[in-house]
Order: sequence, then C-alpha cells, then structure tokens
Amino acid sequence: MINEEKVILMTRLASYEGNEGKKDMAAVHYFRGDYIGFQVLKSVIAATISFFALFAVYLFYNFEQLMQDVYRMDLLEFGKSVVVLYLCFVGGYGAISYVLYATRYARARKNLKNYYGNLRKLAGMYDK
Amino acid sequence: MTTLLVAKQYIRNFVGKYEVYLKPLMKLAVALAALMMVNGQIGYMRRLDDISIVLIIALMCSFMPMNFIIFVAAAFTVLHLYALSLECAAIVLVLFMVLFLLYFRFSPKDTLVVLLTPMCFILKIPYVIPLAMGLLGTPASAVSVGCGVTISYLISYVAENAAALSGMDSEDMVARVRFIIDGFLGNRDMVLTIAAFAVTIIIVYLIRRMSVNYAWTIAILAGAVTDVIILLVGDLMFDTNVSIVGMIVGTIFSVLIAKVVEFFAFHVDYHRAEKVQFEDDEYYYYVKAIPKITVATPSRTVKQINTPRKKSSGAQTRR
Repeated sequence: MINEEKVILMTRLASYEGNEGKKDMAAVHYFRGDYIGFQVLKSVIAATISFFALFAVYLFYNFEQLMQDVYRMDLLEFGKSVVVLYLCFVGGYGAISYVLYATRYARARKNLKNYYGNLRKLAGMYDK
Repeated sequence: MTTLLVAKQYIRNFVGKYEVYLKPLMKLAVALAALMMVNGQIGYMRRLDDISIVLIIALMCSFMPMNFIIFVAAAFTVLHLYALSLECAAIVLVLFMVLFLLYFRFSPKDTLVVLLTPMCFILKIPYVIPLAMGLLGTPASAVSVGCGVTISYLISYVAENAAALSGMDSEDMVARVRFIIDGFLGNRDMVLTIAAFAVTIIIVYLIRRMSVNYAWTIAILAGAVTDVIILLVGDLMFDTNVSIVGMIVGTIFSVLIAKVVEFFAFHVDYHRAEKVQFEDDEYYYYVKAIPKITVATPSRTVKQINTPRKKSSGAQTRR
C-alpha cells in the first residue's frame, strides 16, 4: 500500500536536492566568513575587470582631449581621482555583494535545517 | 469559461507528462527565434547569416542550460557588429561584459528577460515585459528589464546608423567611438522607456500582492495605464517621438497577453472568498482565503458491457 504522506515528503526532498539544495549545500559547506569572503573576493575581481573595461572606453572616447592636455594636466591628481573612483566603485559593489551573500547564506542554512528536519521525519516513518 | 479551464488542465497535464521533450523543444524555439531576429536586425556577417548555422547552434542550445542561449545571442551580436565596425563590436562587448560580470552573477534566473525584451521590441509588444515581470517577478526584475531595454536600443541604434558608420573614415576610430557613445547615451527615448518600465514593474508588483479582490487584473490595468502615461508625459517633455497609436495598440495586446499569464499563473474564484479570524497564544490571525478554480479533465473510460467468453468463442465488443 502506497503511503501518500511518505511519497509527498520524498518528492519534496528530491525536488529540493535537485534544485535549490545543490547551491545551499555548496554554500553551507563553507564557514560563514569563508563563504562570504570568497564571494566578495569574486565580486571585487568582477568589479575591477568591469571598471577597467569602462575606463578604457572612457579613455578612448576622450583620447584627443587627453592627448592635447597631457602635458598641461596634473597627472598625479588625475591618477588620484581615478583611484578614488575605483575604490568607491569596488567598495560599493563589494558592500552590495556582502549583504546579498550574507542573506543567501542565512537562507541556505534555514532551508537545510528544514530539509534535515524532513529527512528525520521520513526516517521516523520507516521506523514505525 | 469551463472549456478554457478544461483546456488549461489539458495543457498542464500535457506539459507535465512530456516535460522531458518539451523543455529542449522550447529552448530550441527560443534560440532559433532569438538568433533569427539578431540576423534579421544586424546580419552584417554573411557567414553567420545562414539558416543552417543558426539551426545547428539552436539545436546545440536546446541541450544546454537556458543561460547559454543568452551567451550565444550575445556572441552573435558582437560578431555581426565586428563585421560592421571594430569599435562598435568593442563597445557592445564591454557592455555585455559589464552586464555579465556585475549583474548576472546575482540573478542568473532573470537573464532570460534580457533576451526576451529585445525580442518583444522587435515584435512591437515591449509593454508586455514590465507587466509580466511585475506579475511573476520581483521589483529587482526592473534591473534585468532595464538591461534588456538598453541592449535593444543599442542594437536598433547601430542598425539605423549602419550606413553612417560604414561611410565614416576607417582611420578615425575615435570619431566612430564618439559617434556610437554619443548617440547611445543621448537617447532620451531609451532613458524614458527604462524609467517607465521600472515604475510599471514596481506598481504591478505592489498591487498584485495587495489583499483586494481582482488584484492581478487591477495590477495589469494600473501598470498599463502608468506605462502609457509616463511615456506620453515623457514624449511631451523630452520630445522623444513615440508613436502614440503604436504604443496604445501595443499596450492593448500586452494587456491581453498579461491576462493570459494571469489565467495560467493565478486563477481564483473571488466569489467564494472566505475571511476567517482566529488566535493562538501569540497572534491574532485575519486570514482571507480564496479558492483556486480547478476543473477535472473528463477522462474517457472503456467499459466492457458483455460478459467475457472463452477464448475460442469469438471476438469481444468494445464501446
């Protein structure tokens, strides 16, 4: 005789394992600090690449102007403003990443807690 | 109405039963449509503008994850633009790179919208995207739709100015870059559309989550009206030359499509809504429960009326 409750529970567990569960398990595999740190590092690398790509387009766009002013402008001041802009860009993006991945980690732990609870419930059904 | 509900149930059953085959088929159709539209709009590279190549790549996409289609469509776009001008391809490549690196890392589920938005622009029904995303997504979907609108306007700007770009002096790369970026960033129509779509998504999302009867229908209508008003006011303020007739007809079609989305995603019977109130140790609960409208699909049964005879005695009759 098929136990409907057991089938529903098993389907739910299998569905979670196949979809969201994979990511959640990969996240919870790390300590919280390590997981968030690693993701923020990846974000910083992505933001750095994006910033330099956009900066290259900016330089190319203003190429003629820059070539005319290159001997007159304060290169140190220009470099400083670029570095400040870069830090703001990467810092802002890193902060957003931190908040997002901290939330995801908390959600993954909660989901896995539910998952293990359901697993125990299923094991209890077999013990009956 | 009952016929429609039965049809919906049949479709659901059918999709559930043949999901294994339908999913790759759907990916094939989306990839084929996307690549053919890219070829139709900016088919400058002759080698890629070939139906056999499109078919092979679309077939490959059907067995890959959904996001692979976006990657392929982006690659097609960059290669076509490379055939037109190196600078144009470089700018679009940077734009795609920034989008992939900064945004799609966070929300890989929304990437399909970036593909569907330019497709809907080509089909003249872009207004369906903010309505559908407001119904099915979250306010964060506004960023994905914004990216889709940006790509769509960039492609159409390049397509419109292809003759001017190819006519420019090939030595003057800086002038070409300036021409593309100035035309792209100075496009008020694009900025206005992004703002209108973002506001529409947020309004549709907020209203459809309200606990009022017919929330989804009200959300669709309010979203459509908001979208039209913002675009019209923007047209008056910034003189963006929006086709008013086209916009209204497109919006009406979009509302109809959004109603179809509602029919499949959220179909409830407000006449049988119940309001219940109860309490436990910590809270008072005010619950509004609205039953879903469901019908059972009529099932054909073969009933054997005559009593089965022995094998040797002859054939059986079925009705």
